[in-house]
This record gives sequence, structure tokens and C-alpha cells, in this order.
Amino acid sequence: MINENDPSTLTTSGRLLNYNEAIKDGLQTGLTFTKLMDQLIRTTDPNELVDAATQLADFKLDSDYVTFPHQYSNADYYLLFMSRMLELHDQGSQVILQSRDHREELTQQLTSLGDRGTFNFRVETSENGGVFYRERATGQSLFYLNLERKMFRFNSHALTQLFIIDLHDTVPAETVKTSVQVLLDFARYLKEDYGYSVDFNILDAANRQNYAVRAADLPAGIVDRLFVAAAKNDYMLTNGVNGNGAEIALDKGVVVDIFNNQLEGQPEWVLTVHDDEQKISWFDVLLQYPFMRDWYLENLSDLEIKSDPLIFG
Amino acid sequence: MENQEQQANAADALTQVIANKLDYLSTMQAAVQHGDDRKIYELLDQVRYYQEVKKTRTNRSVNHLAELVDNIHPQISHYLSDNLIDYLGHIYPFFYYEEFTTGMFHIYFGNWWDRRLFGDLDVINVRFEFDKTEYQKLRDSFALESQNQRLNTSKIEAISAESEKLQELVNAQPKRDNQKTQLREQLKENSGKSSMPWESGKVKTERQEIIDQLTQLADEDEKALNAHKLIKENDDKILVLSKEDTILNYEKQSIREAFDDFEHFEAHNASLYADYLNSLLGKSEGEVTVDD
Repeated sequence: MINENDPSTLTTSGRLLNYNEAIKDGLQTGLTFTKLMDQLIRTTDPNELVDAATQLADFKLDSDYVTFPHQYSNADYYLLFMSRMLELHDQGSQVILQSRDHREELTQQLTSLGDRGTFNFRVETSENGGVFYRERATGQSLFYLNLERKMFRFNSHALTQLFIIDLHDTVPAETVKTSVQVLLDFARYLKEDYGYSVDFNILDAANRQNYAVRAADLPAGIVDRLFVAAAKNDYMLTNGVNGNGAEIALDKGVVVDIFNNQLEGQPEWVLTVHDDEQKISWFDVLLQYPFMRDWYLENLSDLEIKSDPLIFG
Repeated sequence: MENQEQQANAADALTQVIANKLDYLSTMQAAVQHGDDRKIYELLDQVRYYQEVKKTRTNRSVNHLAELVDNIHPQISHYLSDNLIDYLGHIYPFFYYEEFTTGMFHIYFGNWWDRRLFGDLDVINVRFEFDKTEYQKLRDSFALESQNQRLNTSKIEAISAESEKLQELVNAQPKRDNQKTQLREQLKENSGKSSMPWESGKVKTERQEIIDQLTQLADEDEKALNAHKLIKENDDKILVLSKEDTILNYEKQSIREAFDDFEHFEAHNASLYADYLNSLLGKSEGEVTVDD
């Protein structure tokens, strides 16, 4: 009996035919890959771009019979995707893609930040899938991206560590703001153009955004500390409008509230930032007001804004 | 009959007394209907009214009629509070009132974080009943200003100094560790010394001295171990004190903005009744005719 799956039962020509088919398959995979690469690098249609990136994200180039010795890692296609996406929105010059000599590996710099940060993507190996956008020197994962699930999540911890702490003394606040704006825009395009679910976290400038702090039941002393620090800086922390928290009016109509968002049951303390134009986020407040920054960092273990616990748990 | 006459006189007298009461109540009723708060205040305490507002020397006899409305004071107070609080809002812009039960008002000082409950407002008597402790703190804090100090400055300094000492103790740990190593070496040397009978006293003394020093260092080590916890506790204490100073500072600023200084503030409080009632004179729409 001839079983095509069992070579021992095949004739010599049968075996050769099978071998040939496998090679054709492998080459076809290679051809498909090159088409997708063409699409990723050249297309000017954002939909095609996302389509190519999504397919390349978990593309297996090698097969049993055909392997390719020179390959970029899947993570590199994300970098390419990001650059191209910005390019299609006329912001291509805000990132610099760098390839290593003699090695198929890409890294990225944010133009305004220069060599103060080098970024790449790291593939998440768990079954969640997706990738983390990471600063290589510090290992901080600034955001998580999953093309298949159309998910984008910023990470407050990493944004704080890198931009509010590590780069604070050496990079001017304006530069930090410009750099982070690139990441923010990238996320915005994914949300607005492709309906991604995006958590902008501490970068969210919308007034309705409630930034939940880590200690759901915030110790009273922490608000007291802000009260004392604010007074020293000629700002006044007042009783909140809703009566269960505090409020501080900063400059140019920017108002920060800190309050318990739950009137009964389990407390949930949150921060909000209000401004008429909805342009100021908690991150901006941290950049602009040294006393707010000091207060936040000194009480970070209680105050750190929560990120998606399923991703950054 | 004499008895009948007496009875008639008694009836007349009682009728008159009841008529007085009815008259009092109907005057009060009319005052309420006409929104004549001044008249209501006059009826509530005629003696005080004539002394403080009319400034007449005539000693009016106390007629006790005001006692008729004693048990509706909460309602009267609730009613009168509307205009009174409006008036107070202009003169004491930093006080906030909360009617915690009908006609009873708490006073809060300021709208800043954790503002203090500063006492109660007695609407019937147009008087602030300040919380004695809180008021004294404010008074002291004004007094200390001339020395360029805040109420808790010296306490904060003392606690800070203690924390600094504790921190030094922690910082000196490596130095102590070195000293201990040296002392243990000396101790070893000491016990190896040939103890000639005439020397044994000296060796013993030396040994004791080393042990004493080691014990003292061990004590300091233990204090250093607890230091972080104590420093943290001190930080919390300082926070409470700085917060109080910050609040008092806001209170002082508010008083200075409205009254220039504490003395003027107190003077205003003292004449509040007369000032308020004078402000009402001729202001109310349908004033009830004064009955004397």
C-alpha cells in the first residue's frame, strides 16, 4: 500500500516529487515574504502597510527544506512598520532607523532625543503575543503593541523611569516632550485610523481621563505632603469640588484633582488633569512643575499611575 | 363683693398679661412676614438691642417675653441665617458655614485642604463661638510672627536635629565596625599578655576598658538599626506640624487681607451684633413700627 506520508512506501520518483514539492513550498514562502517586505517598505497605502506588518509579525520564513541564513527578526518588522507609519503621516524624519553592519538587526532612535535613547521591539514569548517597545540601555518597556489583537498600551512605570527620572538631569523638558509626542502620535494613528484599543495612560490629555494610582486607598499623609509642598511654591491645595479629595489650580487654567472616585465601597483614588484645550496630561504636569514631580517621585510606591495589569502585571 | 372684685381684677390682670404675650407673638409674626430681621432681633433680646444698637442708658426691665420663642430658636436661627451669612460673607470672606442640623452652624476657616473646623456660629446672638484651642493657636501664631517664627518652628527644628543625629549614627557604621575590629584585636593581645602578678591589676583594668568601649559601640549599633524607623516617624511628625503651620499661615493671610491685623479682627468680632443690626436699619422693605 502506498502512503504519501510515509517515504518508505514511496517509489524513488515519488520521493523526488515530494522533495521537489517541499522545496517549491519553501520557495513560495520566500516569495510571499519578499512580496510582504516590498509592501512593508514601499506601499503608500496605510491599510496595506498595516496588513503587511500584521502578516510579517509572526511570519515563519524557514521551512523544513528551505532555510534562509540571513534574516531579520520579527521584532525588526515592527520598527520598520513604525517608521513607515510615521512617514505616511509626514513624520518620517522624527525617527532614525539604523541597521548594524554585517548583521541583520535594526535599532531606532528618536531624532529629537538623539543618542540618549536607542529603541527596539522585544517579542513577547508568552501566548499573549505582541511586542514591547523598549529602550535598550535601560530595558524600560515604554509600550506594548499587538497588531493581531489591535491593542496598544503605554506603560506609566517605564515612561516615568526613563523620561521623568533617568533623563531628567541631562535632557531638557521640551526635548522630552517632543520625543514622547512621536510615540503618542504613532498610537494615535493606530487608534484613529485602524480602531486600535489604545491606553494612553499618563500621556492622555483628555480631561475625562482618570489616572488611577497604585494605592487604591491612598494614605492621607500623601495629600498632606502635597498641601505643604504646594504652599512653599505659592500654590494652594484646596478641598476638591466633590468634597472627597483635593484640588490644585496650576498655571494657565490647568487644574489637578486627586480624589476618591468611589463614593461607597472599595476606595479608588485617582488623579485628573483639566485644562480647557485638553492638551495637558499628567506627564506634562510632571515635566513642568518640579514640586509636583518631587511629590510624585517621593511617593511613587503609592502614587504611581496604574498600567494595564494584564500586560504590565 | 370684695371677693368678686378681686376675681375681676385678677381676670383683668391675666388678660393683660396674655394680651402682652399675644402682642409679642403677633409683632414677631408680622416681622417675619415682612422680612424685618432687625425687628426680630430686637424682639429676641430687647435689653441688648437698646444697649448696643440704640445706645440708650434707660434700663428697660426684663419682660421675659422672649422666652416665649425659646423652643423655636432652631427655626428662627435657620430663618435668620440667610441674611446674616450673606452679610458675614462680605466681611469675613474666609469663613464657610455648614448647617449641621436645623439652625446650628459649624464655621470652617478657609477652603484649603483640611481646613479647620473653627467653631460655631450663634445666629440668634449674632456671635462667633470659636473653638478655644484653635483660636489660641491662631493668636499665638500672630504673636510669634514678630519673632519671625511659626507656631511649630522650634518643635520642627528639635525633631529635625534628632533625625540628623540618628542619620549620623547610621553613617558612622563603617567607622564603628573598624573600631570594633581594632578593639577585638586589642582584647586578644590583652589576654595573651604574660600576667605577672604585679601586672595583673593593670591588665585587668585595660581589659575592662576595652570591653566597656565595645559595649558602647554595640549600643550605638542597635540605635542605628532602629534609626530608619525613627527617622520615618519623625518625618511623619514634621509633616503634621508643617501642615498646621501652613494652615495657620493661610489663616493669617486671610485675616490680614480682610482686617489688616488680628486686633482689628477681634474688634470687628466684638461689635458684630451692633454692626449687623445697624446695617439692617432702614434696609428692610416693610419695617414694622417700633412700639415705644
